[in-house]
Amino acid sequence: MAVRIIEVRERVMARNDELAAGVRERLHGAGIPAFNLVSSPGAGKTALLERTLDALGDELGISIVTGDVQTQNDADRLARRTERLVQAVVTGGACHLDARQVDTALDALDLAATGLLFIENVGNLVCPASWDLGEEAKIVLFSVTEGEDKPLKYPKMFREARYAVFTKIDLLPHVPFDLERGRRCALEVNPTLQLFETSALTGEGLEEWFAFLRRAVHPAPVPG
Amino acid sequence: MHELSLALEVCRLAEVHLAEAPATSLRNVAVEVGDDANVEVENFRFCLEALLSAPPFGAARPTILRCAGPTLRIAYLEVDDGRPDH
Repeated sequence: MAVRIIEVRERVMARNDELAAGVRERLHGAGIPAFNLVSSPGAGKTALLERTLDALGDELGISIVTGDVQTQNDADRLARRTERLVQAVVTGGACHLDARQVDTALDALDLAATGLLFIENVGNLVCPASWDLGEEAKIVLFSVTEGEDKPLKYPKMFREARYAVFTKIDLLPHVPFDLERGRRCALEVNPTLQLFETSALTGEGLEEWFAFLRRAVHPAPVPG
Repeated sequence: MHELSLALEVCRLAEVHLAEAPATSLRNVAVEVGDDANVEVENFRFCLEALLSAPPFGAARPTILRCAGPTLRIAYLEVDDGRPDH
């Protein structure tokens, strides 16, 4: 038999990145900033989005794509807060969303009436870090019920993110979480991270979060 | 867990390249995996072994080539084109 070598030299993520570039171009063309929300399970992505929809859903024209391994529970929760379609992606076992799923999900959304898109990824601090979905930025949520050293344990996710949101800060009096140490750990991994501190329960810190989202949709004109 | 997704993509790419080549069977897939590629190597190898031992491949094997950095790419395919040795 004749054994021979076929040189390939092709990146495994090439196809996903190609699709992500298409999603990015599509969203950019429609003038829609898109944020990919990532966190460990239970960090409060859906709760933060519920409060965000209540406050800004109509004002900013927020559309949402949710990803879950099983069930549409998150999408159902969010759909109660908005007239817009909340597009659910059930991954059926996969631990992350990929660009193809997001591209398909966009087909179901009314992009002409969308001013801001959130992609609520599968709760997982490892795998979603590797998949570009065509978003403008990843936003990592970090609950105060987790350890302060979470960024050191999952550095890729915190390096890939441009923003980090501490959640459930209403629990600070009841949990042994050192917020200053949490900030230090996050900034040690990624010194350019912009931090937010929020409670979806009490509303603390949400005004700053909302102001950030308003600026994302309506950026200030460049002077000159 | 995402190693299975990556292994499936390796197999998809292998099929694309095999379709372009007059190869009859795949023997080996060599994949370069960087230290910062966010890949658990033994899990990835296990997934590749499972997928490459099933149709349409039959009895192919993975070779993992460790390297530095975030690299994750197929280096080469080793194929048997069915012709006799010279």
